[in-house]
Amino acid sequence: MSAAPNDGRLRLTILGGYLGSGKTTWLRHKLFEGAFGSAQILVNEAAETPVDDTLLSAQAAGLTMLSGGCACCTGKADLVAALRALCDLRSRQPADQRSSEQIVLETSGLADPAAIATAIREDGILAHHIRVVELIVLVDVLHATEQLGAEELSRIQIEAADRIILTKADAVPDTLLAKVVATVARLNPAAVIEAAVKGQKFVLDNLPAADPMALPQMSGNSAPVTPTRIDISPEVDWATFSVWLSALLHARGHDLVRVKGVFETPAGPLLLQAVRKSVQPPELLPPEAVQRQNQIVFIGRGYDPADLTSSIANLTHE
Amino acid sequence: MMCNACGFPTRPGHWTDAGADTAGDRLRLQMRRAKILNKILKGYGFSARPPGHGPGFALSSFSGRTTLLPDLEAVWIEAERQLGHPVDPLDPRFTGVAKETT
Repeated sequence: MSAAPNDGRLRLTILGGYLGSGKTTWLRHKLFEGAFGSAQILVNEAAETPVDDTLLSAQAAGLTMLSGGCACCTGKADLVAALRALCDLRSRQPADQRSSEQIVLETSGLADPAAIATAIREDGILAHHIRVVELIVLVDVLHATEQLGAEELSRIQIEAADRIILTKADAVPDTLLAKVVATVARLNPAAVIEAAVKGQKFVLDNLPAADPMALPQMSGNSAPVTPTRIDISPEVDWATFSVWLSALLHARGHDLVRVKGVFETPAGPLLLQAVRKSVQPPELLPPEAVQRQNQIVFIGRGYDPADLTSSIANLTHE
Repeated sequence: MMCNACGFPTRPGHWTDAGADTAGDRLRLQMRRAKILNKILKGYGFSARPPGHGPGFALSSFSGRTTLLPDLEAVWIEAERQLGHPVDPLDPRFTGVAKETT
């Protein structure tokens, strides 16, 4: 898929991962490397005693601490207010004097990063000013077996990610590392999987073959998440597709973790992205930047991929 | 609170409204969507039409009641409320025919 054009909005990277997965360590190193330019950093601590600010503030353009509530639930209002304040500050600055064009939000270890992305997209003001560019989720390989086996949240975080980074990758034997890679790939087949040690890239080549862990069932639903790519026939117009997809997301949004693709409309190609029931405002792409149009990827559980195709075909032909 | 840069206090339009830049495109999209919506809803005793002014749909149910709804999402929520279950495009009634012919 082509990159979205620079549309003038602030770019937001959401950094998630279970408690103790090494988010601050990783981010601190990335800021030191300059990976996020002079980004504004927001750190959400679920606990009342933030300590990360001392670690991060040296490298960032600005740092805001959000403590006393997880940003995907009790702390959501604080997060929205903090992001609005950053947007407000930026909009008062002339374009050539802006110190920062991106934000990195380090979520609390108990947050669902997809819920945070949804809260931002559903806020009328933030949707005009902020584009969520990537959901990065860190996974601690030392504790992955225990966490993925027992904590549904750790699976939800992985399912939502665009990029998964396995941390403490040097602390376990290759056989276990390979098993974690296979397990994470099964939970989220569409995400890019990387590894790191204290923020530095750790190469995952030459790992032995391994099967995913057998994860116990949770919440009555243990079906694996599977990705399906569907070529939409040229006969299916945007009106048909959007009505169909809106119904599908309403009925099955909890089981459709991601929907991504580019759809041709009378106004031009639209970049379409959804996380569970939440659809990001579609972005018009320059026609020349788009290679794969009307090809939509569905990532979810508990549906028969062939049903997607036949359902659209029936709606088109009947 | 109004944004001082763009002046938008409201949410952007529903995502399904994307892809239609001109007034003519928007009208065509609205008419066409109502037609598609009716294909899905007719089996449940609903019918939908553009309300005649502005965006959204007028949803008439089997009971004869008509509800004005701002967007497609609201249509599915209202249909679920009246039916007691969501309208699922992967229900066999929507997927079955093609399976028999392929």
